[in-house]
Parts: sequence; structure tokens; C-alpha cells
Amino acid sequence: MNFQVFLDVGIVALRAILPIYAVVIVYQCFASARRHRRPEKPLVTLEIEATGQKVPVLFWENSIGRSKGSDICVADMAVSRDHCVLLRRQEGWFVSDIGSKFGTFVNGEPAKGRTKVNIDDEITVGNTTFTLKRGDEYQRKLRPSWFFSKASDKGSLQPYKLMLLITFFQLFMAVEACFSNDRQDFLPLAFFGGLAVIEWAFFCISSYAFNRVNFEMEALALFLSGIGVMIGVRQNTVSAPDAGFRMALVQLISMTVGIILFSFIVKFIEKPDRVDSLRMYIMIAAVILLGINIVFGTVTNGAANWIRLGPITVQPSEFVKVAFIFVGASALDHLQTKRNFIEFIAFSAICVGALAFMGDFGTALIFFLTFLLIAFMRSGDFKTIILALVAAVFAVILVLNIKPYVADRFATWGHAWEYADDNGYQQVNAMIYTASGGLIGVGLGNGYLKYLAASESDLVFGIVSEEMGLIVGFTIAAAIVAMCFYARAITTRSRSTFYSITANCAAGMFVVQAALNILGAMDILPLTGVTLPYISAGGSSMIACWGLIAFIKAADERTYAAKRRPVAEKADDTPDEDEEIYPGTVMIREPLTREAAEKRGGRR
Amino acid sequence: MKRIMRRSYLVLFVALAFFGGICFLAFRVVTQSSTWIQHPYNGHALASDGLASAGEITDRSGTKIAYNEDGQRRYHDDEATRRALMHVVGDKSMQVTTSIQNMYRAELTGYNFLLGMGLPSSLKSNRDVQLTVDSDACKAAYEALGDHKGACVVYNYKTGEVLVSVSSPTYDPENAPSYEEIEDSEWYDGVYLDNVLSSTYTPGSTFKIITAAAAIENIPDIFEREFECDGSIEIGGNPINCTDAHSKYGKISFEEAFAHSCNVVFAQLAIEIGPEKMKETAEKMGFNSDKVRMSGIPIAKSYYNADGADENTLAWTGIGQGFGDYEDRANPLRMAMIAGAVANGGRAVSPFIVEDDGSLADKLGIDKNKDGDTDMLKPSTATQLQKLMKAAAVYYDSSYGIKVGDLPFCAKTGTAERGDGKAETAWFVGYSEDANHPYAFAIVVEEGGSGATAAAPVADAAVSALVS
Repeated sequence: MNFQVFLDVGIVALRAILPIYAVVIVYQCFASARRHRRPEKPLVTLEIEATGQKVPVLFWENSIGRSKGSDICVADMAVSRDHCVLLRRQEGWFVSDIGSKFGTFVNGEPAKGRTKVNIDDEITVGNTTFTLKRGDEYQRKLRPSWFFSKASDKGSLQPYKLMLLITFFQLFMAVEACFSNDRQDFLPLAFFGGLAVIEWAFFCISSYAFNRVNFEMEALALFLSGIGVMIGVRQNTVSAPDAGFRMALVQLISMTVGIILFSFIVKFIEKPDRVDSLRMYIMIAAVILLGINIVFGTVTNGAANWIRLGPITVQPSEFVKVAFIFVGASALDHLQTKRNFIEFIAFSAICVGALAFMGDFGTALIFFLTFLLIAFMRSGDFKTIILALVAAVFAVILVLNIKPYVADRFATWGHAWEYADDNGYQQVNAMIYTASGGLIGVGLGNGYLKYLAASESDLVFGIVSEEMGLIVGFTIAAAIVAMCFYARAITTRSRSTFYSITANCAAGMFVVQAALNILGAMDILPLTGVTLPYISAGGSSMIACWGLIAFIKAADERTYAAKRRPVAEKADDTPDEDEEIYPGTVMIREPLTREAAEKRGGRR
Repeated sequence: MKRIMRRSYLVLFVALAFFGGICFLAFRVVTQSSTWIQHPYNGHALASDGLASAGEITDRSGTKIAYNEDGQRRYHDDEATRRALMHVVGDKSMQVTTSIQNMYRAELTGYNFLLGMGLPSSLKSNRDVQLTVDSDACKAAYEALGDHKGACVVYNYKTGEVLVSVSSPTYDPENAPSYEEIEDSEWYDGVYLDNVLSSTYTPGSTFKIITAAAAIENIPDIFEREFECDGSIEIGGNPINCTDAHSKYGKISFEEAFAHSCNVVFAQLAIEIGPEKMKETAEKMGFNSDKVRMSGIPIAKSYYNADGADENTLAWTGIGQGFGDYEDRANPLRMAMIAGAVANGGRAVSPFIVEDDGSLADKLGIDKNKDGDTDMLKPSTATQLQKLMKAAAVYYDSSYGIKVGDLPFCAKTGTAERGDGKAETAWFVGYSEDANHPYAFAIVVEEGGSGATAAAPVADAAVSALVS
């Protein structure tokens, strides 16, 4: 056995290990996310004065009303369907009337805006009066959620061990890339060094400076970004021998910027109400950004979605994505105001319209689908969704009439092989090379898809599958799906509906993007030229993805746990190993008698 | 919060829809990846990791007909043989989609779904593929075709081995003409098509084998009957003439009508049998179906349709000259299979061309072609058809001196009119009766004129080469 065969065996072995390794990392990230839950005890309880019945308050923000969907449902005709919101902030508990007919009273005084409620204070809605009591006065057991693992289960990986796994994965990728067919040098190792330094610095700051216990979402994003960087290193082509170096450098730098943006957003939205006051400014900034883009935009691939700033080009629409999620959500008591919602619809229309005007239909589609998600999350109203869809159909017909070339893309859809020399060229190439990679890939840098123009963004799934194998390709897709499950599982554990909505919609946006990118390249959906989160080449996209995952991070109440501890009213924040409980609603079936209500100062 | 939780099912739904899409993609990749990688755009296949590391292709005697030397794909030493085998083996252009180098690329290059195409050449498990063809006989057939376009296929009707498969026009794979040359030249029109597998022609009088089979099975006294032929008959207001060399007018038996290819008699028979029975017989013999494949390589569908045809049209379809919606189309390999079924007592053995592709099935001796065999004819019908084709062969021998490798043979000629002003398509379909040389053949010579003079010599050349 000569040396070449020896080396070949080693490289192929490495290639075979990497996919399994990738699966392990993604699994560990989510296994870890399922752990370390605080026990599901009620935060406080409401005692009905007339009957002494105790109602657990399970969430940070609770709607009180007559409608069945309310968190605390009061079957009292004097209570409006959506009456008021009981919410918890760092300063304590508040009650906020949301346009009820007969008003909400705290200790007999009508509540205007957010009114502080202390333990043993009385809250009156309609004919019902509650007394705010401590959480540990409620003893009943509740249904546990399937997502969170039981305390008795085997412990998950420590965050630093997860980081070690990822670092070694990236080292292996770098070693493999060093021995690529058309170029052998140690450039990939240099990039590995850069990655490792940034990742560990980020990890240390997160765990020691911010005292954060969990690191799963960051780890996942680092894992995905690392694949993007390492794929980039070897994207050199015959005509551009240093394209790989530049691409990897852009990915690495934008990852760093992304991490900074991530940290900033997590910090910035620590107080959910701060965002509410800044909503208008964010909206205006986003619209100005899009305006600048329209005026100064450079046309690339038929879409004028770039602006040039000296040596760098940026894609403002990527940053507007982050702003879009920001603006879409609110705290529960502000969510249902009409003004808030109309502002959001107007903002969405401007964004989608501006993007369509620029010719960036792929991003316009992402915005539109995300708009549908947010609109539904806010209103729960199918009518709104249908209305929006109808409007969209008209818009599409209009676009197809004005710009008929857009229709050509759809004509190819599902028939890429018949148009292999023409409009199906990109999809056909992506499919050929996806198949050529097999399950474990041909090795980093050994692919041919990289020679195709723009393949490193639109067809990047093909590159990943060709060079690293289908297993890695599908693992990335699975990671994004799992992100949705996670975002959904923490919905009711979030500190505000602002977090629940932003986290779900950010995860939804990732899925929409991944679906359009992966299934578009594989001719299952029309090819729209959108980026695959974290993997696709492009600094703006990378930074925006880090911005988006900040919302998922912030929705997990553990993120701010260390800071909250001193002002918490009770010991319910300590993560002791208790059983996990799924929140449910407790209905109060019997309203108070009229006499009892009158006695307590209720009107009617 | 509870409401938000419930509404977030929409996000979950979107995620699950995406997951469903990914599963669909996985299914597609698993089932279609070996087709996808064969596309000519595939850089892995064209570059040094593609054919340059592919296994050898050998003919039945072990002669190399495609192999690698110094990183180059090389073909047979003799130019005429290379040309004769170009459609079977394929070439660098990958344009002949039914060729072995296209269809068996995965086997040749050692591609498998697990490892992809990226294995270093030191570790590649490329396999050799052995074919059933005889390269000398292919060369003889190619040379006998001369400068005519057409096809020649000979296969063993007992075992199914394809021995000769030649398609013209062709070119030398080692000196392939450029795309421009191919585009500009009328001669190269259809050069990427293997006429044996992928073309269909108007069958002309060779279709009388099928009409005769229908007559034997549906008209009990067919052999006792006496027909009248004066060279022409008017059916549905249109005359049908006996155009073939026809020395016998007047009273004529069924047997004589077949040997002399009497259009008048067969036109009347088609009408008597009726469209349903005609179609039923044709479909039993494999028309209107593309189910059978040759070693996994698709065979073009042959067509016969008589549903709702008027008498005149039905008469034309019965002599293999249907037109418009009722056009008869026959694939050469399909006709050879029909001849083979007649010889084989009604059982058509599916043809195969790959002797050994190094696969596990081959190593275990599993016959991959077994389930493709069909019963085309009743044994009694086959015996009667043998007699008819024998009488025809005797007639050809005595009138035109036609021999097929000096073996006792049975056959039917065809001279199909094209309807576009060009000379007729010449057909010769039949089989050898020799037990040691059980060969069924079909030869098509485009613009060849008479089947007996243009197509029969090709069969003789091919079978002679096989016998020697």
C-alpha cells in the first residue's frame, strides 16, 4: 500500500465521519435545548373572593376575558370577551385594560394604562373580583409538554462540550479542504483558526460576562455558519483563483458582525416594552433603507437589491427582515389595538411593494409569507389571511402582466430537465451534482457546481450536498425544522407575546427561506434565488440570520434568568429538578352573585 | 399566551410542510440519482474522474470494445467495428442515450449512491461490462448496410442474447464529428438515435406476419380457402394494388398469398378479421407497449391502431401501410422478437445485451431477464406461421437467390412506402431454423427499395459472420 492510497483512505474516512458527526451535533444542540427547564409552577394565583377558588396564573402575560381562548376565562356576562391583560414585568405585576366595556378595577380604583398590582391587591372585572396571591398556593399538577425532557432523563451535554464538538467538526472540515483535488494548501486551517478564536471568545463572553447558562441556539448558528465559511474557502474557480479566499473572509467577517448584532438585539429587547416605544423609529429607518436602495441600487441578476458602499456591497433588504420581525410583534396588551395592527399592515405593504419594485421577487415572497405568519399569530384570523392571499394573487397577476419574463421562471418549474439548456440550467446542474455527491459527498473543494455562476448562494444546497454529501444537506434542513419546534415549545414560556411572536416568526422565516432555496434548486418549488440561512455566500444574509436567531434566543426565559433573580418575587426561578408541566387553562364556571359584586364595589 | 400558542401551529405546519418537501426530495434523489448523474453536464463524468476511470466493455468473445489507456477512453482497434458498435457502446458526447456507456455509467464508473462520484481513483471499484454482441458480425452487418441508413439486429431467440445490433448513420467515436458538422449534414440526421432501439418504421409487408397470425387464430378455414387476385382491388372507393413483385395472379391460396405478399388478399383478410381482433393480435405481439426493455434499456414503442377505422383504412393497416391516425409503426428489435416468437413456438424471449456487469446478481447467477418473456402466439399458430414463412423463404431463395448464412431459414420481406416521395424502406424479418444457430433477425434499410434485394443481403452478411 503506497502513501497515496493511505492518504486517500484517510480522506475518505474523514468524509464518511463528517456526516455522522453533523447529525450528532444537531441532535445534541436540541437535546440540550430540551433540558434545564424551570418547573411549571404557577407564577401567582388569583383567588376568587366570593368562592375562595384558586386560579393559577401560568404565563408572563395573561389575557382575562369571557372568550374561551382567554388564558383566564371568566364566564361572567359583565366581562368583555377580551377584557384585560395581567402581565409580569421586572418591576412586578400589572393589569392593563384592553378596551373592556365596563372597565377593570384595582382595589376599587379604575385601572388606566398599566396599573401595578401587589400581592393581596384586588382586581375586579365585571362582577368578579380576584385577589392576587403567591404562586405556591396552588398545588394541582398539570400536563407536561412532550418537547421538554423529563428531569429523570439522562443529562445533556455541557455547553462547552457542545462547543468542543463543533470546533472539532470544523477542524475536520478544514483538514479535508486542505487536501482538495485542485488545490492543496493550508488556507482552510487558517480560516479554522479564525473561526475557533471567534467562537470561543463569543462563548466565553456569553457564559462569563453575561452569565448565560444555555448556548444551544448560538451553537447551532455557529455550526451552520462554520459550514458556510468552510464551503467558501474552496470556491475558487479557474477564472477567479482567489474567489474562495474572499468568500470565506466575507463569511467570517460577517459572522463576527452577526454575532455582535445578535448580542446587541438580545440585550436591546431585554425589556419587551422598550421595543414598543421604538417601533415607529424602526419602521421609518427600514423604509428609508429601502428608499435608499431603490434610489442608489445596483442591478445584479435582474434585481436592483444591492447598494455599493466603497469596497463593500450590502443588501439592505436582508436587514429590513430583522426590522420586519421587530415591528410585527408587541406585548399582549398592545397587540390587540387596531392602530398597532394597521401600522404593521401598512409597513408590510411598503416592504413587499418596494422589493417587488426592485425586482427582488424571492425576498418579496419571503416577506409576504412572513407577513402572513405574523398576521395570523397576532389576530388568529383566517379572514385576514385569505384577504391577504387574494390581494397577493391580484398582485402576482399584475406583475406577470408588467414583467412577463418573471413568468418564464415558473414555466420551467417542474420541467427543469426539459429546459436543461435554457431556464432549467441551474436546477439541472444542482440536481446532477447533488446526486453525484452521494451520501457522504465528493469532498470539500472537489465539486463542480462551484464553477456555475451564483451557485454559492442560490444553489448552495447543491454545493453542500455535492461536497459534503446528502446527509449533511438534510441535516441542515432538519436543524431548521427543529428550530421551529423549539421556538414553538418556548412560546408560552416567553416573558411576553412579543417574544413568542418574534421567535415563531423568525423560525418561520428561516423555514420559508430554506424551503425556497433548497426545494427551488431541486425543482420542487420555483427557483426564486433566495439564500439558505447561514450557508449561502453573502455577508448581509449572514448578518441578518444572526439577527433573526436573536429573537429565538430572547424568547427563552432562561436567557435573562441570571439578571432577573434579584428582583423575582419568589423562588420559582431557581432551576431545581422538578417535573415539567404543560400549562392549561382553568375555567371559572360560576360568576359571583350580584349582591356580592355590589358589595365589593363592582358596577352594574 | 394560550392563543398565541395555538396559532403557532401555523408555523409548525409550515415547518412540517417543508419537512415533507425534504422527504419528497430524498425520495426523488434515491430513485433518480443514477439517472441524474448520467446527464452530459456532469463534470464528474467528463473529467478525469469520469469515463477515464471507467471499466472496460468487452464483446461476447472478450474482445475489448471500449477501455482506457493513458487516461483516455479508447475503443476497438478497427475503425469499421468502432462505427458499427458506436450506438451500442456510446461515445464521449453522451448523446446516444441508450448506449451502454450512458445506461451503465454508474456500473462502469463505480458510482453508487452511498459514496457518490468522488472516490479517489485509487479506491474506485469500477466494474467491467461484458456484452453479448459479436463485434465481427456487427462489422459485417455495418459494411453490408453500406451507405444506407437503417438498422440490423440479430438475437438468439432461445436465450435472448443480442448478437448483432448496428444502426446507421454512425461515426467513429475516436474521431467524432463536431456538433456543427452534425447539425449541417443531412447524412448525420438522426445519428444520435440507435435505430435498433429507438426508431420505428412503417413495417410494410412484414406486418403481414401479424395479420396472418390474426387470420390463423380467427378464421378457421383459412388454409382451405381460395382467393382471387388480379393485382388490384377497390375497397371503400380506393384501389389497393399488389406492388410487390407478384408473379401469380388468379387463384391463390393463403400460403401463396403470404409468400408473394399479396396486398389484395391481406387487405380483405384485415377487413374480415375486423379492427378489434387485429388490434388484439398486434398488442399480444407487443405493439402499443413499451414494457419490455433490453437489459434495462428502453425499446421504442411500436404502434398499431384500427379503432374506428373505415374499411379502406383498415385494409391499409392490415398490410402495414396504415396512415394518419392509423399509421403502423414497427421497431426493428420488436420485429425480431416477433420472428423469434414464431420460431420459438410462440414464446418471445426478452432480448438482453449485457452479459455480465459485475453486479452481485450476475455473480450469483440470477437471470435478470426471466420475467420479461411473453407468450405472443399459441403454439399451433406459431407452427402454421413457421410454414408460411418457410414457404416465403423458399420462394425468395428460388426467385432472388436469398441465403441467410447458408442456414435453413424462414422470413418475410417488406417494402414499405414512405409517402414523402423518397424510395421505399426495405425490410427483412425472419429467423434461422438451425438448432445450433437459433437467430432471429430484423433488418431495415432506409430508401433501400425492395426488401428482398436491399435488406436480405445484410441479414446474410450478419448471420454468415456469426456462423463462421
